[in-house]
Amino acid sequence: MHGLLLIIAVAALVQLLAAFCALRLIRITGGRTAWVLIAGALCLMALRRGIKLWRLATGDLSDPPDLFDDGLTLAISLAMLAAVLWIPPLFLTIQRAAETLRQAKDNLEIKVAERTVALQDVNIRLSVELDERRRAERVLAQYAEDLKRSNAELEQFAYVASHDLQEPLRMVASFTQLLAKRYQGKLDQDADDFIGFAVEGANRMQVLINDLLAFSRVGTRGKPFAAVDCEAVLSHALANLTTILQETGAVVTRDPLPTVRADEVQLGQLFQNLLANALKFQGPDPPRVHLAAQQQGDEWIFSVQDNGIGIAPEHQERIFTIFQRLHRREEFPGTGLGLALCKKIAERHGGRIWVKSAPGRGSTFYFSIPGGKEDGRESQGKLPAH
Amino acid sequence: MAGSRKGSCRPIEILLVEDNPGDVHLTKEALKEGKVVNNLQTVGDGEEAMAYLRRQGPYTQATRPDLILLDLNLPKKGGREVLAEIKEDPDLRRIPVVILTVSEAEQDIIKSYNLHANCYITKPVNLEQFMEVVQSIENFWLTVVMLPPR
Repeated sequence: MHGLLLIIAVAALVQLLAAFCALRLIRITGGRTAWVLIAGALCLMALRRGIKLWRLATGDLSDPPDLFDDGLTLAISLAMLAAVLWIPPLFLTIQRAAETLRQAKDNLEIKVAERTVALQDVNIRLSVELDERRRAERVLAQYAEDLKRSNAELEQFAYVASHDLQEPLRMVASFTQLLAKRYQGKLDQDADDFIGFAVEGANRMQVLINDLLAFSRVGTRGKPFAAVDCEAVLSHALANLTTILQETGAVVTRDPLPTVRADEVQLGQLFQNLLANALKFQGPDPPRVHLAAQQQGDEWIFSVQDNGIGIAPEHQERIFTIFQRLHRREEFPGTGLGLALCKKIAERHGGRIWVKSAPGRGSTFYFSIPGGKEDGRESQGKLPAH
Repeated sequence: MAGSRKGSCRPIEILLVEDNPGDVHLTKEALKEGKVVNNLQTVGDGEEAMAYLRRQGPYTQATRPDLILLDLNLPKKGGREVLAEIKEDPDLRRIPVVILTVSEAEQDIIKSYNLHANCYITKPVNLEQFMEVVQSIENFWLTVVMLPPR
């Protein structure tokens, strides 16, 4: 009987404790109504236990005690207390987790915002750079255009100048020649000399103007590139040089030459100028000239080798510059335009020109013309020209 | 005789349209050394050339030429215009026109032949060659070729 009383008393206490805890939870969780209801229910249950206890104590047994029922009530009360005690930490944990999550989310948002700003900065910088680059490209294109125009104008000027110079020069040359023809030997020796100088000067100027015209025509009067058989071009160049070949007793040999894409007339000029130089700058022996072509990578390297007087290393660059001459006119005539013309022709074809030489040991002039293997050696196996 | 080549006692009439007195002189020199008896008349620009051929202004007494030597670069009226007018004129178009110029430009050559020039010759720079060219013009056009009657 006393055990039962104790159980009821403990259950009532536990329920009160649980109600108190539930009321405390209002502060932590903020769910006011739910916890007030739970606390109210628990208080009512505790009151019922109290009434039952009081009745038992006063001997009123209209409601007889039942061990199972009151034991179950105690167990439920304990479970409720446990639940009420366990909820706050769980709730706090969840709350903390939620807080952590929220913070993480906030951090993420801040980071995203920061990154977005950084990205925008980079974007702005990039677009500024892009603008600058575009501007630079425009300026560069403008420069290239200006340079092209200036070159074209210069070539046009050289062409027109040399063309228009022909007319008055023709007058000077013709009338000094007429003077020479009509009055040579009829005046005194001085007059003959003066007329001679005038005629010679006019003739030299004619050669110079013709060479200048040829030089300026490389750019302005060039023909489009087409497949050109170098064998035929060389034969033509040699035919043009027949007189000087015979006079010098030169021996010209050649390897098989390829077909390349070129301006036929200009390639002919290139061959002819190099050949003429090889014959002109003759050493002590009759000229021996050898022509060859070798494929290297995606270009053909042509070579014109002679046994002439050779060129000192310090002059090997400047011989390709316009009007540069290494000899007095009495030694070797010329205008100083031949190799400059060769260089211009080689460069118009996307190639280069250079020389390997030593004084007294002959010279080998090389020039390159772009051309892949597909151009072929159509004329392979022909015999040497001379 | 239909042609003016054989049996003609009269001198051959040549009209030189040339503004450069030097060239006029050289042409005269060359023709003087030639074999054909000729009468060279000279006018200095295109307008004078047309006036001469149409016997206008001071040229009412002008003789119709057997051959015209025409420079391309002329003051006032250019050689191309003169050539075009001559070849459009039903009366003048029969007169052979020899273009004698310094220009070696392809477009000048094509243009001149398109305008029915009878031949196109560039003036050689060298005196001897110039003489030879003028004399060969004279030789070809005045002794080899059958010209129409005046």
